[in-house]
Amino acid sequence: MKGRPLRFQLALIGHLVRREFVLSYRRSTLGFLWSLLLPLAQLLVLVLVFDTIVPLGIPRYPAFVFSGLLPWTWFSTCVSMACGLFITNRDLVRHPDFRPAVLMVVTAIAGMITYLAALPILLVVMVTHGQWIGPAVLFFPVLGLIEGVLIVGLGLLVATLNVFYRDIQYLTGVGLMLLFYLTPVFYRPPDATRGGLGLLYDLNPMAGLVQGYRAIFFDGTMPSLLALGIATALSSLLALVGYAVYRRSEHDMIDAL
Amino acid sequence: MDDVLAVEKVSKRYRTARTRPVTLKAAVLGALSREQLDDGYHWALRDVSFSVAHGDAVGIIGHNGAGKSTLLRLLCGVGRPTSGRVRRVGPVQGLLELGSGFHGDLTGRENLLTGGMLCGLSEREVRAREDEIIAFAELEDFIDQPVRTYSTGMYMRLAFATAMHLDPTVLVVDEVLAVGDARFQAKCLARLKTFRTGGGTLVMTSHAMDQISALCDEVLVLEDGRVATMADPETALRCYDDLMRQRTERRAATLAGRPVELAVDGSRLGTQEARVVAVRLSDADGGAVSSLRSGDPLVIELDYERDPSVSDAALTVAIFHEATKCFEVTTESMAATFAPLGMRGTVRCELPRVPLLPGNYHVTVGLYPPTFDFTYDYHWQMHGLHVDGPASARSITGVVAVEPVWSRR
Repeated sequence: MKGRPLRFQLALIGHLVRREFVLSYRRSTLGFLWSLLLPLAQLLVLVLVFDTIVPLGIPRYPAFVFSGLLPWTWFSTCVSMACGLFITNRDLVRHPDFRPAVLMVVTAIAGMITYLAALPILLVVMVTHGQWIGPAVLFFPVLGLIEGVLIVGLGLLVATLNVFYRDIQYLTGVGLMLLFYLTPVFYRPPDATRGGLGLLYDLNPMAGLVQGYRAIFFDGTMPSLLALGIATALSSLLALVGYAVYRRSEHDMIDAL
Repeated sequence: MDDVLAVEKVSKRYRTARTRPVTLKAAVLGALSREQLDDGYHWALRDVSFSVAHGDAVGIIGHNGAGKSTLLRLLCGVGRPTSGRVRRVGPVQGLLELGSGFHGDLTGRENLLTGGMLCGLSEREVRAREDEIIAFAELEDFIDQPVRTYSTGMYMRLAFATAMHLDPTVLVVDEVLAVGDARFQAKCLARLKTFRTGGGTLVMTSHAMDQISALCDEVLVLEDGRVATMADPETALRCYDDLMRQRTERRAATLAGRPVELAVDGSRLGTQEARVVAVRLSDADGGAVSSLRSGDPLVIELDYERDPSVSDAALTVAIFHEATKCFEVTTESMAATFAPLGMRGTVRCELPRVPLLPGNYHVTVGLYPPTFDFTYDYHWQMHGLHVDGPASARSITGVVAVEPVWSRR
């Protein structure tokens, strides 16, 4: 597909996204429902723990958590899937006319579709808590684009390195677990955290993004443009690094698979 | 020129498993200790150059591990050479090693669609050819099963059918015709011939030299990653046989620890790791014979011995009339065909009818490792066979006893 018209590339990506879903849910009775049930289950756990057992005292907590949990799920699912990306899709990677990086885009799009499919549920959760969405949701495509770039960039890095060093998949698992707690998914970050711990939020693009999503859905306010700017810069940087690493190894990868 | 493929001074090396740091720890430690990682590379190809003109058919032969598959992968653009370059004009359709083209969890139909779309067809265009592909592959009953459940033969049929129906102009085929039943192989060969007649360019490897001779105009012989020769099939096959003989000599010398004169008594050749110690020809009743009447049965019994290092061998039995091969049968794995080999033993080959014209023939036997990389033992024209016949057959020449009946109409 190198050098083929854009139309073909788009058709191919569309086909591969469909293939991704077919492969994920083959031979499961509930199929696509699982990608909605899993975040719902996680929501249930978080609500149980932080609204009932150790209450954080955040009002309308289910809607609060869910607005951050969905983008986090998109991110973490894609990045952990990236580990095995080139290994399980050996048939495509070894195809002479195929650019393996396309697979990461496909994975990100498939995750995005799952995210979009879960948005009505978020709406239901919010409405049951007496809340409606405001015009701030128009920022959603911007946030989605930044997160998409982040996912593809980090995913390419992880996917490429894991072909050569299988340690990466374990490191990624640990890293994602740590990052989950360092990202304000189920809590509000303490306000006065400049310097020290605050740096962790500043340097974590997912922190800015999750807070952005929460602002537009849950708070109905504009996301912090500063936070978005930082997230954009960091995501682009990661994407550049990820793509550079991938490009350097693109051809050697085939020999290692 | 209108070369569609040009290979220019291509070398390719792989890291052998020993030197590739498979874990981060190993990589870090390796970097810290400045350990030399330079040795332990395997050069699969060295300085290979050749080109393929539009419409040509080039066969690539060589012993196991000579670099054939590596070369074909590079031709297709899978991986890139360590040095040198491969120029391709237009798309190259590759039928490479089995097991790499399809996703095992997807059905044949789904894989076919992906394959077609990767070649730049739209979904509708692939769907339009789908029935034709499935019919050619004869997979109507299995096309909606996951490919992982396919046998190698079914897999190859699907791969071949898909590749042939995507309008290739340059086709690179790696040994895939070796699997599958004889009838389907014949169908594939016929299809490849049609492809050739239609102006298609073909590069293929095969262990079946008759396939190579039948399809190719030129044959490239690879020996340890280098081009030994590129010539017409006849010359190239002779070169290949010579190389095999040299390999046998080298191996025999290594085993003996000194240079060895291989031709044991002018007509015998081999490393002697496995040996044919006796060949007996007998008639149907078991009586030893050295001659028989045209059309009579013949039993060839041979006693063999082997060194403990040899666990399996390929066996050929042939009848020659001077240098003309009248007949040859190959058993690629004696262990698989006759049960595990004893240290010594006897195998029996019964020919119910030997339809040879009267004359002098020789029974030729050979023992090889299953890869056919060199020769254990080969008896060339050591076992004579005389065929008698009715004197009336004087007007017939040749080797095969056909019985022409003339009449006037």
